[in-house]
Amino acid sequence: MTELIEAVLRGLGTGSVYALLALGFVIIYKATRVISFAQPAFMLAGVTMVTYLVLEVSFWVAVPVAAFLTGLLALGVERLAVRPMIGRPAFVVAIITLGVDVAVRVVVNAFIGLDVRNVLDPWGLRTVGIRDIDMQQRHLAAFLTTAALVAALFAFFRFTRMGLAMRAAAYDQEAALAQGVSVGAVFALSWGLAGALAAVAGTFAAAGSSVDAGLWLIALTALPVIILGGLDSLPGAVVGGLAIGVLQELTATYQNHAPWLGGNVSVITPYVVMLLVLLVRPYGLFGTREVERV
Amino acid sequence: MNKLGPLGAAALLLVSGALAACRGGESETSEGEIKTDVGVTAEPCPGATDQSKGCIYLGIISDLTEGPFRALAVPITDAQKAFWKRVNEDGGIGGYEVDVTKYVRDNKYNPQTHNQVYQEIKPSVLGLAQTLGSPTTAAIINDLKSSSVVAAPASWTSAWAFEDVIIESGANYCIESMNALDYAKEVYSPKSVMAVHLAGDYGEDAAAGAKLAAQSLGMTFTAVKTDSGADKQAGAIQAILTAKPDVVIVTTGPADAAAIIGQTVARGYGGRFIGTSPTWNPALLQSASAPALLARYEQTAPWNAWGTDSAGHKAMREAIGSVTPNDGYTSGWVWSYPMKAALSKAVENGDLTRAGLLAAAKSLTSVDYEGMLPSGAGNYAGGPNEGAVRVTAVYKADRAAPTGVSQVRDLFTGPTGKAYTLDGPCYEKL
Repeated sequence: MTELIEAVLRGLGTGSVYALLALGFVIIYKATRVISFAQPAFMLAGVTMVTYLVLEVSFWVAVPVAAFLTGLLALGVERLAVRPMIGRPAFVVAIITLGVDVAVRVVVNAFIGLDVRNVLDPWGLRTVGIRDIDMQQRHLAAFLTTAALVAALFAFFRFTRMGLAMRAAAYDQEAALAQGVSVGAVFALSWGLAGALAAVAGTFAAAGSSVDAGLWLIALTALPVIILGGLDSLPGAVVGGLAIGVLQELTATYQNHAPWLGGNVSVITPYVVMLLVLLVRPYGLFGTREVERV
Repeated sequence: MNKLGPLGAAALLLVSGALAACRGGESETSEGEIKTDVGVTAEPCPGATDQSKGCIYLGIISDLTEGPFRALAVPITDAQKAFWKRVNEDGGIGGYEVDVTKYVRDNKYNPQTHNQVYQEIKPSVLGLAQTLGSPTTAAIINDLKSSSVVAAPASWTSAWAFEDVIIESGANYCIESMNALDYAKEVYSPKSVMAVHLAGDYGEDAAAGAKLAAQSLGMTFTAVKTDSGADKQAGAIQAILTAKPDVVIVTTGPADAAAIIGQTVARGYGGRFIGTSPTWNPALLQSASAPALLARYEQTAPWNAWGTDSAGHKAMREAIGSVTPNDGYTSGWVWSYPMKAALSKAVENGDLTRAGLLAAAKSLTSVDYEGMLPSGAGNYAGGPNEGAVRVTAVYKADRAAPTGVSQVRDLFTGPTGKAYTLDGPCYEKL
């Protein structure tokens, strides 16, 4: 039982990272109808900034600053590479984001250098425990931070004018434009938010571990997450992220009962889930079902 | 051209075409006494120390930008450039200097890219001063053999002992793991061993060595294959926590090893870890896994680290100058000695053709490593089993040491590694 609970707690920790990344994907998708493949690069850029900033200031200052700077970077990319493509088919823009991803990562890799880098987080691999159940502090921190950020985001969308504008633009761009909503500002803010979330996600992905050029691959797990949760659903991104994280940890913990599956089956479980969801419920758990008239 | 008319122009084209064909062919020419064919010119090297000498071109194919082993590959390559610069400054090889800077290519640790860039530089080089990686070199090994291109590897798989064109240095991963377990038996008396390894010759060769050693030492053995990436170690971590082996032999990249060691120890695993040299990076001592690494991790190495007091190590530190110490430099330097010996021998034999260099390499009974490896190392004439170098040193993580590791045991050969008959690549026995 302890083993099961501990696995679920670890899963919630890694799932929180997936949730933050998936939120970025969904926010951009809702605003622009484009899946941005540049999220992995923003994550790597953000966490690399943290590794440099922590050498000068405390971790608690470094993370918000890096998130802000990554938001600016994402904003810049949106302005330079994506905004001129408005009106073009969504897949063209998606391909452009792929190019942006590669280009940004090449630059970031140069900053990562040859050695692995560290975020020097305060948690390390220490644990907190109630009776005999242990949870790693970094997982708890990731979960709590994600909860706080998600609450703030939902409040923003629900209670602010800009949030309302973003919801309006997501619902119908032309109608929103006609009502005086600045769709351009909505696009910009979406990219900025997604960049900042990616930076925080990257920091938690690297907490207790280290940063190397391969870290960006974690961000790809957000793709199965948004397919599971639904491409245009913010709650879906959160639930999907946590579910995939828990499922992955449970698979890793209990895979020794099915050795015929091979040694590292937890790595592919998110993608197996993605395939199943696409077959059974292609719009995901919480996504909008597309109605097509024939 | 106008004066020549169309016929004259056609004739000129034909002649120039024929000339180009001659230059492209591998026709043998004699430079004084010495026979040469590909990759050796009478003209001096670019930036030559002595303009009166000819040039031997050697290629380097390494993981220079985005592959998983670039933290080692870049210093390896820099050390080799420094090594050959020193050779040139000391008078070169006979009437020649050696250039390893003109044909440097990046393989991104991808076998396909490796083959592509090899084909690109092959017509211009006599041999390869470096071909980095086991799976990557496997992609060109048949071509190396059919074209008699001699190459110094930057990997330690036991398969190289069976290839005449590869002039390898130091103990292979297989023997190194045997020595690791001999050492572990003496110090920790383990009853069970697990090998956590990457797929391919690198990880499987080490795992096979651990398996063979465990069998002969009466320990139980399990192997767990894992993937590259710190986030992909959950399976390996769980396997260690479930089986609780006394010793884990790790053959992965540095970030993977840190994740495995840090997290298993944090979750209560009480055993020891021994990694091969590519698992180490000094920056891991700043990571969250540092306490676990300092307490539980040791590393085997085929030769001694950067700060060692030997003639070769001293020459290396002097030639490379002020850099952040890294044992990639040490490896690149050591791997260059056999090529120097083979080139010198070929010049001595008066045959600096590819075939001549291969014959010279095959005839070497020892290589002067300037004390970096024991005397007798580099016996390619002795065949795979007799010629195999079987020494390994053991290091532990240490913040005070220049490359983050300090010596626990000097180069030694354990009883298992000594008795083992190398009759085929080890990874086939996993």
